[in-house]
Amino acid sequence: MSVYLEKLRHFRLAIKQHGGIIGAYLNFYRTDELKWGDLIGEDKFGNKYFQNRHYFIGRSRWVQYSDAVGMDYDGSQIPPEWHRWLHYIGDEPPTTAPPVKRSWMVDHKPNLTGTPEQYVPYSTVKPKITAWEPPKA
Amino acid sequence: MATLLKIWPLMGRRILGNPAACLACKSARTASGSSDQPEVELFVNDIPVSVPPGTTVLQACAEVGVQIPRFCYHDRLSIAGNCRMCLVEVEKSAKPVASCAMPVMKGMRVKTDSEIARKAREGVMEFLLMNHPLDCPICDQGGECDLQDQSMVFGSDRSRFVDMDHEGKRAVEDKDIGPLVKTIMTRCIQCTRCVRFANEIAGVEEIGTTGRGSDMQIGTYVEKLFGSELSGNIIDICPVGALTSKPYAFTARPWENRKTESIDVMDALGSNIIVATREGSVIRILPRLHEDINEEWLSDRSRFAYDGLKRQRLVSPMVKDASGTLVSCEWEDAFFTILDRLTGVTGSEIAAIAGGHADAESLIVLKDLLNRLGSEALCTEEIFPMDAAGTDLRSNYLLNTQISGIEEAEVVLLVGTNPRYEAPLLNARIRKSWLHNDLTVGVIGPQLDLTYEYDHLGDSTKVLQELAAGTHPFNKVLSSTKRAMIIVGSAVLQRADGGAIHAAMSTLAQNHRVKSGCDESWRVLNVLQRVASQVAALDLGYKAGVQVVRDNPPKVLYLLGADEQTVTKADLPSDCFVVYQGCHGDAGASMADVVLPGAAYTEKVGTYVNTEGRAQQTQVAVTPPGMAREDWKIIRALSEIVGQTLPYDNLNEVRRRLAQMSPNLTRYGDVEEANYFKQAEELAKSVKSSLASDALTPPQLSLKDFYMVDSISRASQTMAHCVAAVTKAEAK
Repeated sequence: MSVYLEKLRHFRLAIKQHGGIIGAYLNFYRTDELKWGDLIGEDKFGNKYFQNRHYFIGRSRWVQYSDAVGMDYDGSQIPPEWHRWLHYIGDEPPTTAPPVKRSWMVDHKPNLTGTPEQYVPYSTVKPKITAWEPPKA
Repeated sequence: MATLLKIWPLMGRRILGNPAACLACKSARTASGSSDQPEVELFVNDIPVSVPPGTTVLQACAEVGVQIPRFCYHDRLSIAGNCRMCLVEVEKSAKPVASCAMPVMKGMRVKTDSEIARKAREGVMEFLLMNHPLDCPICDQGGECDLQDQSMVFGSDRSRFVDMDHEGKRAVEDKDIGPLVKTIMTRCIQCTRCVRFANEIAGVEEIGTTGRGSDMQIGTYVEKLFGSELSGNIIDICPVGALTSKPYAFTARPWENRKTESIDVMDALGSNIIVATREGSVIRILPRLHEDINEEWLSDRSRFAYDGLKRQRLVSPMVKDASGTLVSCEWEDAFFTILDRLTGVTGSEIAAIAGGHADAESLIVLKDLLNRLGSEALCTEEIFPMDAAGTDLRSNYLLNTQISGIEEAEVVLLVGTNPRYEAPLLNARIRKSWLHNDLTVGVIGPQLDLTYEYDHLGDSTKVLQELAAGTHPFNKVLSSTKRAMIIVGSAVLQRADGGAIHAAMSTLAQNHRVKSGCDESWRVLNVLQRVASQVAALDLGYKAGVQVVRDNPPKVLYLLGADEQTVTKADLPSDCFVVYQGCHGDAGASMADVVLPGAAYTEKVGTYVNTEGRAQQTQVAVTPPGMAREDWKIIRALSEIVGQTLPYDNLNEVRRRLAQMSPNLTRYGDVEEANYFKQAEELAKSVKSSLASDALTPPQLSLKDFYMVDSISRASQTMAHCVAAVTKAEAK
């Protein structure tokens, strides 16, 4: 009996965390999941990272993607420092152990495949036909 | 052995069948007087065969289908008899005899497959291979090498050559004979075909032999350019890999090429060619046998300008942006830009100019479109005098006697033309006839090296008047024969007094026909065109020359491959809208407001009529690059956009329309003869313009002028190298 009460308690907490029935429904619609946990941090893209050790390992850390991306969320939108924590490579989140910022590091960019900004490889083979270059006016 | 003999391809061509082309036969026949002498009977492998006296054993063997291996023998060249590969056994002869040089004798019993003959060939092959490098894997001739093929069939399976350490193999330094022919002289087997070609066919006595025995070398005596417009042919006739094509070097093996039989458009002869393609690009062009046009030769421009097909190409439609620069766009954008400009323009304000490479299909489609829009101003870049009969009578603008007719002619008069560079194979034909038929040649024009001797009649137009009046000394020469040809170059017809020149020659020709009493089928007046599209365009009713555009400056001008700058921006009103359709970015595309990319001659099925009036068609060897399309399809698509949809959707329907306009255009391979010389001559009397006093000078005077004459050859690097090499050689 107490098992069922425990489940009910978690359900209530989850609904509460998402701001009521409607919020919880929307989140469920978006992620197919309804969990509650502690907010560990937020990255510069607006993704929120949660942890709840009550869930077994592998499901105990998760991300709630920024509202800005809507349904178009994607694993590549997570910056590497959070990726490290999220995948249990380390237990220290970047909020408590920020990564060393080196001069050669570039900003994280999500994978743009399928969007107009996608990377398109080009041939390095010399073309067989050289086109005429019209004279500049 | 007998089966091997059959599968050996023997270079896949000729061998008798055409005794007229066989110089050896010809000289032998003339030597023996007439051909009505009794035939000689002999036996080849016990098969009886009768041949005219003077025939060689090799030809008699070919008559019964026995192919004798050979290296030095070539049936368009004189007989050298120095390779010894054609040895056969003749009964009651002490030694094997060289069949290519041995005339037949009565009752001769020839054995081509006996032990002695086989042994003799094997020995010759062993000697040849002793001094031939074993570099077939890196040799460009590999796969089409006579030595390779014949050593497989007739050679021994082992060699007795062991003296690599002392004497070694013969090695010869390579020669630099120009940017077209690569020489690897160590591979040379001294067959002297190239020497005989240069001396006999090309008429350039620059290649010869020095030394003797194993020290014999083929070369140009001193290091110099092999300056001939037919130089590429020595690559074809070389039986080994000593002479190979420089632009084609290490490109491909012959068995991996796709071969397309097509037509050349670099001059007006319409030489038959084979376009070899691999991986979607043209990698070489070879001649194809056509006895009435190019025999088996090809001019250097036709053979080597193919790299121009890959450069300066128009690959997408372009329209001018706000700053006046042409930028690439979609077909729709280009068509609607044209539509915008065409609305509100009346038919009389539209004109079109067709260039030298336009095929008959695109010419007819363009003509139909413009006629539907209400315009009659369609003209060709190349001028032809329109006075009197003008282009109404075909006989006025054709090479009526035909190219092969030169071999029957006894007197040829060249007027204001330099056939050596305007139509090299026609010139080779004249030289052939001059060598073997005692042809008399007269030239009116500058004194040039035409590779044969001629009577120079001066270069002034006075000569024409005197000839027409019958008072010139050369009239006597003409009246002495029933087989005279007058060849007028279309270059001099470009002049303001072209009509008068044509009229004078027409009168001369007609007077000659009447006086000499030659038969009706022999034509005297010939016009040598310079561009491939001209005859078809005139057959379809295009006006020759751009005067009509100059007189009525159009609002919209359609250039169909017109790149010779006969009309420039300066001739047109500033608001004139120019559409250019063609394959290369050249002068035409530079002055255009809209560019439509068309196909080059290797990329479309197109009808071309050569200067004789022979319709031939090109075939698709590669697809047009990028967004380029076949030319007639572009105009057909445009017609739909401008609301004048033309009633044909495929090539057959276009050709049906061509046949409606001029049935000869679809009778492929045939010469449509023209007549009405008398009427033309009568009309010519009405020509009002009089002969100007300036000298009759064709534009192509030296070899330098030969290489780059159209948009394809101007885009070709090989041709640019040739011009540079000739310029350098001339400066020395």
